Amino acid sequence: MKKYIVKRILLIFPTIIGITLITYLMVRLAPGDYTSLKAGMEGELKAGSVGREILEEERKLYGLDKPILTGYADWLFKFVKLDFGTSRKDGRPVAERIKDALPVTLTLNIITILIVYIISIPLGIYSAVKKDSLFDRGSSLALFILYSLPSFWIGLLLLLYFSGGENLNIFPLGGLMSEWETEPGFFAKILDIAWHLVLPVITLTYGSFAFLARYSRANLLEVINQQYITTARAKGLSEMKVIFVHAFRNSLIPLITLMASLLPGLLGGSVIVERIFSIPGIGLLAFEAILSRDIPVIMAIGSISAILTLIGILLSDLTYAIADPRIRLESKI
Amino acid sequence: MRRSFWIHVWRDFKRNRLAFAGFIIVAFLFSVAILAPLIANSRPYIYAGNGKVYFPIFFNYDELKDADLRLDKYDGFKVFPPVRYTYSEYDLDYIVSGPSSKHLLGTDEQGRDLAARMLYGTRISILVGFIAVFIYVTIGIIIGSIAGFYGGIIDLIISRFIEIIMCFPTFFLILTVLALIGPSLVNVMVVIGLTGWTGIARIVRGEFLKLREYDFVVASRASGAKDSRIIIRHILPNALAPVFVSATFGIASTILIESSLSFLGFGVQPPTPSWGDILSQSREFMDFAWWLTLIPGLAIFLTITSYNLVGEGLQDALDPKSVKKRN
Repeated sequence: MKKYIVKRILLIFPTIIGITLITYLMVRLAPGDYTSLKAGMEGELKAGSVGREILEEERKLYGLDKPILTGYADWLFKFVKLDFGTSRKDGRPVAERIKDALPVTLTLNIITILIVYIISIPLGIYSAVKKDSLFDRGSSLALFILYSLPSFWIGLLLLLYFSGGENLNIFPLGGLMSEWETEPGFFAKILDIAWHLVLPVITLTYGSFAFLARYSRANLLEVINQQYITTARAKGLSEMKVIFVHAFRNSLIPLITLMASLLPGLLGGSVIVERIFSIPGIGLLAFEAILSRDIPVIMAIGSISAILTLIGILLSDLTYAIADPRIRLESKI
Repeated sequence: MRRSFWIHVWRDFKRNRLAFAGFIIVAFLFSVAILAPLIANSRPYIYAGNGKVYFPIFFNYDELKDADLRLDKYDGFKVFPPVRYTYSEYDLDYIVSGPSSKHLLGTDEQGRDLAARMLYGTRISILVGFIAVFIYVTIGIIIGSIAGFYGGIIDLIISRFIEIIMCFPTFFLILTVLALIGPSLVNVMVVIGLTGWTGIARIVRGEFLKLREYDFVVASRASGAKDSRIIIRHILPNALAPVFVSATFGIASTILIESSLSFLGFGVQPPTPSWGDILSQSREFMDFAWWLTLIPGLAIFLTITSYNLVGEGLQDALDPKSVKKRN
């Protein structure tokens, strides 16, 4: 077990090297990139919005004047020290901008994952217990339809029908919090942020229900067919006890792993949702950086979100190994 | 794979009513995409005037070169397509106007007929869906079969590489690359194709790892077959079923990605009509021009649902253990 954990943790380093290398190569080798990057910069120079020192600094940051490998090594060295350069757009350090945006997106995604789990797992269990009932079929069709609804469309429709205009004016049009004249109390602020997050969270969650509910249903059904469940029934336990004490706990294990696979999708999805609802998170930062070709920001977000996903996968694999006695004991031998 | 196998699969597939409905819609969308110029066109199929019969939609006539046959001054026998506009035509009297007898689904902010744009948009979604998925299925099969067949250090390296790529949020990756190389129809297809292969590669690798131990593979190896022959003739055909299922779901998600990209302005460039782009343009008139928001959204939703239903049905039909099949 210890060996497995150590091995997994050590393997993370070559993967991080790979992630950063790909990010670096993508920007460095993109056809026409360096020249168009330069052309863009020179245009901006003429307009006087960007100082020559920033251009020089950026050249140094990417080692564009050096061979690929040394250039990469230099960039990586700065990356490890969390020096991502300065944003071309407003001249602020990229690290600072990411520090502001990351908590917003993480909060949004953690709330989303929690809601998805809280709703889908009971749905899946109930469908498995009442297999082939009207409820089972109806809910699976409903979730299937939700899964196929494009989130940017639903986001627009929610804005249209619930945020002013001709229709209901219940939720704010976007942003993370209201403009205050005086600093509000702690709870008032939390409540206000929650109010702003209702529509974005709905947009992010509804599509993931189907996947998880179906998965937990299939898992439970598989466990129910195991012999130890037959044994539990044979010794006269109530159905409730069989399902919740014997079956449910064992069907939970694979669901842990899913948390990690949801993460990259949600981070990608944040781009759309944060853009529609103007939420100042990583997604919007990324989108604006892409629009203005703010390379330092793009590179930092690309590698940071990949590394976050990597850590998510690692954590869920480790929990899986700890939770499942078959894996735990097998690797002990 | 044997022919009879696919006959069985088709029979099982047809039994699944929802999947079959999805298949019908997909077939319908295909016909619409192919026939778009015949459904939405500013020229009539037949025009009989000046004592002559013309087929303006099919042939070009010098004397009718700049003539707008929809005008009343060209009297005579005319048979028009259901939509009398092309996708790039500006009708300045009807800017952001709702569905009417003239413009069946209304018009957009430049007076372009929404019905015509929707019809032509079908082409983009199908083109991107199929070509991008074809690219990534091909890459996935090649990389996956090499990893699974040879195993060992080759497999280790490829698997590591796949893990690295999978860490990147795909949508962000696609957006970034498109921003660097510039958005266009071809680039969208290529970039989705180049980033999407990891799932297929993993499936193929898994199948190969399993199948290469089977007796028929060992037998063909013993009889001296070359690696390439064993891979292509013996293992690959048996590994394809899950690839088909995954590819069908892949088309659905590629269409979603394409429309999301167009929605953000990184997809197909105007004036080529794309559903996502229409939806994005609708934002400015959202509070009154409901048709501009509702119709493209519904079209995207219906298309994605259909491909997903077909994928589901295919999955059940191809799975010998499927419960639904036994009932």
